[in-house]
Amino acid sequence: MDYTISSIAPIVLLPFAAFVINSFIARTFTKTAVALSCGAIFGSFLFAFRIFKDFVFGNYATDYYIHKVFNWFDLTGGGQSFQVNMGVYIDNMTAVMLLMVTAVATLIHVFSTFYMHHDMNYGRNGRFFTYLSLFTSAMLGLVLSDNLLSVFIFWELMGFCSYSLIGFYYEKEGAGNASMKAFMTTRVGDVFFLLGILAVWTTVGSVTFTDIYAALAAGKFDPVMVLGIPLATFAGLCIFAGTMGKSAQFPLQVWLPDAMFGPTPCSALIHAATMVAAGVYLSLRIYPILEAGHLTYFVAVIGGITAFGAATIALVQTDLKAVLAYSTISQLGYMVLGVGVGSYNAAFMHLITHAIFKACLFLSAGSVIHSLHDHHTHTHVQEMPRMGGLKNKFKFTWIAMWCCTLAIAGIPFFSGFVSKDRILGDALLMALHNKAYWIPTILGFAGAFLTAFYMCRMMFLTFHGEPRDKDVYDHAHVEHLSWNQNIPLLILSVFTLGVWFSGSLTGQGLVKVASYDGKYEWFQTLIAKPKVEKFVSYKAEEFGAADTRVKNQLPASQYDSSYGLSEEEAHHIHHVHYMGAIASIIIAFSGVFLAFLMYIRKSVNPGWWVSTFSGWYRALQNRYYFDDFYIKGLIQRGLLPLNNFLSWFDMGVYDRIAVDGWAKVTHFLMGIAKWFDNLVVDTIAVDGTGASVRFFNVLLRTLQSGKIQFYFIMIILVLTGYVLAL
Amino acid sequence: MMTLASYLFISFALFAAGVAVIIARKNIIAMLLGIELMLNAAALNFAAYTRFLNNNYEGHIMSLFIIVIAAAEAAVGLAIVIRFFQIRDSIHVDDATQLQS
Repeated sequence: MDYTISSIAPIVLLPFAAFVINSFIARTFTKTAVALSCGAIFGSFLFAFRIFKDFVFGNYATDYYIHKVFNWFDLTGGGQSFQVNMGVYIDNMTAVMLLMVTAVATLIHVFSTFYMHHDMNYGRNGRFFTYLSLFTSAMLGLVLSDNLLSVFIFWELMGFCSYSLIGFYYEKEGAGNASMKAFMTTRVGDVFFLLGILAVWTTVGSVTFTDIYAALAAGKFDPVMVLGIPLATFAGLCIFAGTMGKSAQFPLQVWLPDAMFGPTPCSALIHAATMVAAGVYLSLRIYPILEAGHLTYFVAVIGGITAFGAATIALVQTDLKAVLAYSTISQLGYMVLGVGVGSYNAAFMHLITHAIFKACLFLSAGSVIHSLHDHHTHTHVQEMPRMGGLKNKFKFTWIAMWCCTLAIAGIPFFSGFVSKDRILGDALLMALHNKAYWIPTILGFAGAFLTAFYMCRMMFLTFHGEPRDKDVYDHAHVEHLSWNQNIPLLILSVFTLGVWFSGSLTGQGLVKVASYDGKYEWFQTLIAKPKVEKFVSYKAEEFGAADTRVKNQLPASQYDSSYGLSEEEAHHIHHVHYMGAIASIIIAFSGVFLAFLMYIRKSVNPGWWVSTFSGWYRALQNRYYFDDFYIKGLIQRGLLPLNNFLSWFDMGVYDRIAVDGWAKVTHFLMGIAKWFDNLVVDTIAVDGTGASVRFFNVLLRTLQSGKIQFYFIMIILVLTGYVLAL
Repeated sequence: MMTLASYLFISFALFAAGVAVIIARKNIIAMLLGIELMLNAAALNFAAYTRFLNNNYEGHIMSLFIIVIAAAEAAVGLAIVIRFFQIRDSIHVDDATQLQS
């Protein structure tokens, strides 16, 4: 397959074209706009699938990549070269990510036609799809980007779409504030991200990933210090702060639960599957910087804290979508933990599996919420205490949601088990080598237990037991199967099976790593850490230039060679992963069992836990007081006084002294100018001209008396004078 | 003994008398008379110079011309005066102010 502008650009440009057209027609021709958005993303999916097919089934080497650039603008001149290139960088990770994003986005678009049809009357349906198209185009652009700058551009575009979609139901109380909160919180990370890009730029002179890798390999980062810390550490920290904002990592996690104000399909697409995962994707892309900056432990701890902390908060949530929101934060924490413990492909794998099962969970939750009405307030019901027993009415959704729940809980044969256990296994491996890693590892395992518990709690409260709100239950319609509601759920829940990702039903724990032959687990084969050395003398291809790729046959033991492990080490790794897998299977089942005891058998009373640990319970309900800390502490104590001071400075100093003072100076200067004008210009110049004319006029007029004798005297006098002078 | 100087003295006296008449008198006819005196002074000069210096008749001829011109001038001048008198009922020179701005 040829990689030309016409085979890559449509992935981004089709949804973007849909966005541009829909911006004009969405209000009037809503149905056309919806069809256009869905068609565009499906077209993107087809183009992405070609690339995926080529990369995954093309038998290339693991580190094979395509890097095509075009010149964006050229400011070369005066002996200085300044070219800014944009381009696409496609490796196996990009190819898999492209397929996942387009596929999930297509299914969510289809589901949205079901979910949003009530809004059709207001023409808001079209607006929703317009934003969805812009969002998918930005996300795909980010995935294809070959440099940090265009990543940042698309990153901000996604942030804007997220902002608009969170505030979509702007008449809902709190939606506007929630969108503002999401935008401002991620902005904190984005500022650091931009700072990191600039720091890289100053040393490397380019922000392209391949240039950065080459600079790392050449050791250009080493001698440079920024603010007393090495450049790699500084840049890695700053860019990772962007990840923390976008992927809702501790301590910037506060925005994601509030983002649930948006329509549920947008929560599924943006706040579960793609945008929040983009942060993890970025940290995988800049993994060499994190490694060179010795930040992996920091990243692992952040991930561990997030994974565990969010899981604990999810324990006490009563809102269906809030549970999912916290579980998203928690799972993103696992991905970041995976990045931190060097579990590169498992972190990426968890990104993909999580995107699929979490999108499915959100869509299922959307199906349920959509059908539950409160007939007194005319709103949808999202509170789990008002649900219960819904499995009789939502048979299909119930099954789909259970698939996803088992996947996220880490039950064997489901995708979450494959990816999460690999992360935890690698974490365990790191902990055995380095004691400091026990902190994130234990947090990760504890979070896995809580994940299994709170997800099953959510399922039991929603679908099992007796209906707790009879009114809501009776008014809920029995689910009618419809293609645009159930097909997406069906496809997504099929892909929650682990076999799609592991290649073997048992997954990581039972695969013998050392003798791994490259045929078994395609994820392990495809995704590897970027080896920076090979980028030292690389050259990006121009778009339209001839294809010079070499199609490498895959080496036999790719995974083995990429780590360079001896037989003994590999056995050790295998052993540790085996133990990790056993541990997390036990942990997952005990979590499910505890939930079963509490909410089905009711032999363990949740109320007892609440009353015994009431302080913890309050802390969890208040989200560990993070919002209070940010709003009351940081904003009201810190920012507001600062703002007041700045406002005082502005009004008192700038306005009073500078602006008003300048006015006074001008007024004074105006007085001088006025005096000068009146006296010199007006009196002397203008009036003086008149006066002199008048003076000579008088003089000459006096001579012209008309008295002939006077003239005669003059003539005589002149003649006499003339004669006398002679 | 009649010398050139005595002729010129007479001529100067005549001319001075004419000038004095023109300056002093407001009567237009008197001023015309002053002009005649001045013309005659000039004519006398011509005659005197040609008699004492050239001894030919060119100066006499010029004198005759002057007499003729003086006559013509007097005729025209008197006509203007008469017309002026008809309009203004006066021959006072200060009344001729119509051209004054």
